[in-house]
Amino acid sequence: MERKHIINFIVIFLFFLLAAGLFNLDVRQGQKFRRLSDSNCIRLISQFGSRGNILDRNGKIIVDNKISYDVMILPQEKEDVERALALISRVLGVGIKELKIEFKKNFVSSSVPVCVVANIKPTDAIVLGEYKIEQPNIIVTSKPLRHYPYGSLAAHAIGYLNEIDRWRLTKLEDYGYKTKDIVGFGGVEEKYDYYLRQEEGGLSVEVNHRGKFTRVLGFEPPRNGKDVRLTLDLSIQKIVEEKLEGKKGSVILMDPYTGEILAMASFPGFNPAIFVNKKTKQIAALFHDSDAPFLNRAIAASYPPASIFKVVVASTALELKKVNTSTTFLCQGQTMVGARKFKCWDTHGPQDIFQGIAHSCDVYFYKAGLLSGAQNIHDYALKLGLAHQSGFDLAQETAGFIPSPLWRKLNKFQNWYDGDTANLSIGQGECLVTPLQAVNLMAVFANRGYLLTPHIVKAVGEVDLSARKNKAVAVPLKKKTVEVVASGLRRAITDPKGTANVLSSLAVKVAGKTGTAQVSRGSTHAWFTGYFPQERPQYAICVFLENGGPGYAACVVAKQIIEEMYNQRLI
Amino acid sequence: MRNSFFKIFILALIIAALGILSIYSSTYQKESATWQDIYKRQILWLIFGLVCFFLFARLNYRKLWDANYFIYGGALFLLFLVFTLGIIRLGAQRWLRFAWFNFQPSEFAKLAVIIFLARYFSRKSINDTSLLSGKFGIFRGIILPFIFVAVPMFLIIEQPDLGSGLMLMLVFVGLLYLTNLRLKYIYTLLVTMILPLPLFWNLLHDYQKKRLLVFLNPNIDPLGAGYTIIQSRIAIGSGGFFGRGWLRGSQSQLYFLPESHTDFIFATFAEQWGFIGGALLILLYYLIIRQGFLIAQRTQDAFGRYLAYGISLLLALQVFINIAMNMGLAPVVGLPLPMMSYGGSSMLVTFIALGILVNIDRTRNVF
Repeated sequence: MERKHIINFIVIFLFFLLAAGLFNLDVRQGQKFRRLSDSNCIRLISQFGSRGNILDRNGKIIVDNKISYDVMILPQEKEDVERALALISRVLGVGIKELKIEFKKNFVSSSVPVCVVANIKPTDAIVLGEYKIEQPNIIVTSKPLRHYPYGSLAAHAIGYLNEIDRWRLTKLEDYGYKTKDIVGFGGVEEKYDYYLRQEEGGLSVEVNHRGKFTRVLGFEPPRNGKDVRLTLDLSIQKIVEEKLEGKKGSVILMDPYTGEILAMASFPGFNPAIFVNKKTKQIAALFHDSDAPFLNRAIAASYPPASIFKVVVASTALELKKVNTSTTFLCQGQTMVGARKFKCWDTHGPQDIFQGIAHSCDVYFYKAGLLSGAQNIHDYALKLGLAHQSGFDLAQETAGFIPSPLWRKLNKFQNWYDGDTANLSIGQGECLVTPLQAVNLMAVFANRGYLLTPHIVKAVGEVDLSARKNKAVAVPLKKKTVEVVASGLRRAITDPKGTANVLSSLAVKVAGKTGTAQVSRGSTHAWFTGYFPQERPQYAICVFLENGGPGYAACVVAKQIIEEMYNQRLI
Repeated sequence: MRNSFFKIFILALIIAALGILSIYSSTYQKESATWQDIYKRQILWLIFGLVCFFLFARLNYRKLWDANYFIYGGALFLLFLVFTLGIIRLGAQRWLRFAWFNFQPSEFAKLAVIIFLARYFSRKSINDTSLLSGKFGIFRGIILPFIFVAVPMFLIIEQPDLGSGLMLMLVFVGLLYLTNLRLKYIYTLLVTMILPLPLFWNLLHDYQKKRLLVFLNPNIDPLGAGYTIIQSRIAIGSGGFFGRGWLRGSQSQLYFLPESHTDFIFATFAEQWGFIGGALLILLYYLIIRQGFLIAQRTQDAFGRYLAYGISLLLALQVFINIAMNMGLAPVVGLPLPMMSYGGSSMLVTFIALGILVNIDRTRNVF
């Protein structure tokens, strides 16, 4: 072949090679390169919406958000970073060493801004903003952060915010939750997280090779979370927490007609703000505290009800016609059940049902209980809302427990003896009741016979939830029974020897029952549960003090609360 | 006759127009007005180029035979001048400052060497009209012309402009092959050139070594020397089959691709017009080169024939190496894409070469 043809062929071959190379890049690997190209030039800038506020029943803010200013540095040139850090240190008065440590800790890559100081004062933010021209790699961003104007107020009912954990993430992934999301833990924040939570919006922008903005490709506005309105009354909640302060236990106030929780406090508590400021040491200390400050004692813990359970026994005996208003039992300080001696806490002499409730006479209730039978007491306890969850709208509610002969037989293969009935009759033994159940039990006598579903959330956004709550259920008690027990409850205050006589000095007429629960270790638990004003009840109350001594101690706290409420004209 | 003139003219015009579109698209996002006006300068250069094209299409190419030594000497002079007066841009000393533009003598030198070689190999024997080159021995066939090529080549490589220097060598070998020189000699030349290559490695500049290593594996230095290849491949590849569309190439317009209006203009073009556009462009180049080969084959005059071959080869190799380098198939060397890349010298020289080509076809019948 002539050389000119060979050259010609070589050239054709070379050009064919080019076309083949082009085909390879464009068509065979086109998708991949398109992706690489997009990732080169498209950046997402997120914009934060704010989480929904939590309001009290009157719309007053309990928890809201405030703008937090963070100082970030764009780490591109090393000297620039040094200079920027020096500037920040000068303006904020923070040691440059700490800034450098923070910078190293948060560094991701040279194109991602690094947060060096979080949550600075607005004035400092403005000052730093002034340096934008000299030091363009300092960025001050603002994002809404949870703000707790009342500190630890109602912390248990509200809960706190933290980074999502693994367990929650696996459950919530399908609902659009991502790692590093901030979600609610405990209380309303957790239960209503889906409504409260904001949707992150963002700007997708095109940048050039220097990361400089060229144009906006798309914008999705951030969406704020919905506000949640609670049934709590801020002023009552404040009083309650003030009076409970320093005593382990919980206090609940409830509207006895609607089941709305007006105040719910548990002590020891915590300040949810420490999670916002990421005070790791304090958080760890709280988690390791043996007093379990995160436990909402009002709903998540159950205790022996002791004497407040006598209300159930009285109802059962009356309802089954085992006793009537003229039945009296003689209290000699003790009685024999089978071969065992059961003591009363005092010697009361002859007692009718009113006196039995007022003096909390154990002997009266041993006898009334034995007449009624353990299984019947258990059944009526269930009808009065014990031993099962009340349907309260926060998680973590425990069911409590009331034993019965049947349960004993089925689960423990043991017989039930009269001694057990006697123990059950005074609310000891295996009985466990939550403070929420106790207040709900009182509400039945306050509203003359209806079992309510307690709840704490009134509205989400604009939607009023009260219509969706379970309706009050009529407890199958005769009107007479309720009235008799209710007047017994009033007698506990008015009777000079009544266990809650200390409350008689109040301007408000209170009805209620005390309880002193024996525990295996430490001093007794103190209960007071009742309602007021007696004629036209507005509030059902339960004061529970863990290892707080005799029921009298709980009465004192209740008295302080009611007094303060009266002074503030809330009654 | 008019036919080839017309074809080459149209093809070159289309390619140059596509080049201007690409330059416009790659610079219209840039901030300063000088950058944004760069396509206007290219239009100006195109007009100059066309003037030169018409001029040289009219000028009898045999005049080049006479002026041959002046041209060659002039090219050498300019290359020397670059050493002493040249301005440094992008780390290389390749340009000469003229009144209002920068001139790159190495572009001119390529053409000058081709003219020189065409003349050298087309001397006729006194006794008969056949060419001497077939009868050349190793000295007159290889060594002497090699020296004539090596001097400007050395000057160009020292600028440093390895690409243009190697280009000269490749065109030289191609022309040698076409002059019916004995294959034995050509092999000898190739072997003597390739064997000492490992020794030359140490003579290369660091950046040149790096480029060669990066060509073998661009990922060894993704932000340094490999950056351009990676970005260029992304630009071409992201075009896909139909391209991203006019003015929508993010790689070239947002400055991710360096030199997007000069050496890497093919990537800029292919990003916007995709496989369809890129393949069409390659076809256009092939057609123009094919015209060159056809002219060479038609021409009886040996000088004209070698000149046509030389010009076609120069074009073909430049186009091939540049596009291959854009696609990461060849190491990055500073070679412009003829008629497309921004730059006056390359534009002028290419159009002069095309003018000569057309003139060869026009004049051949005179003989």
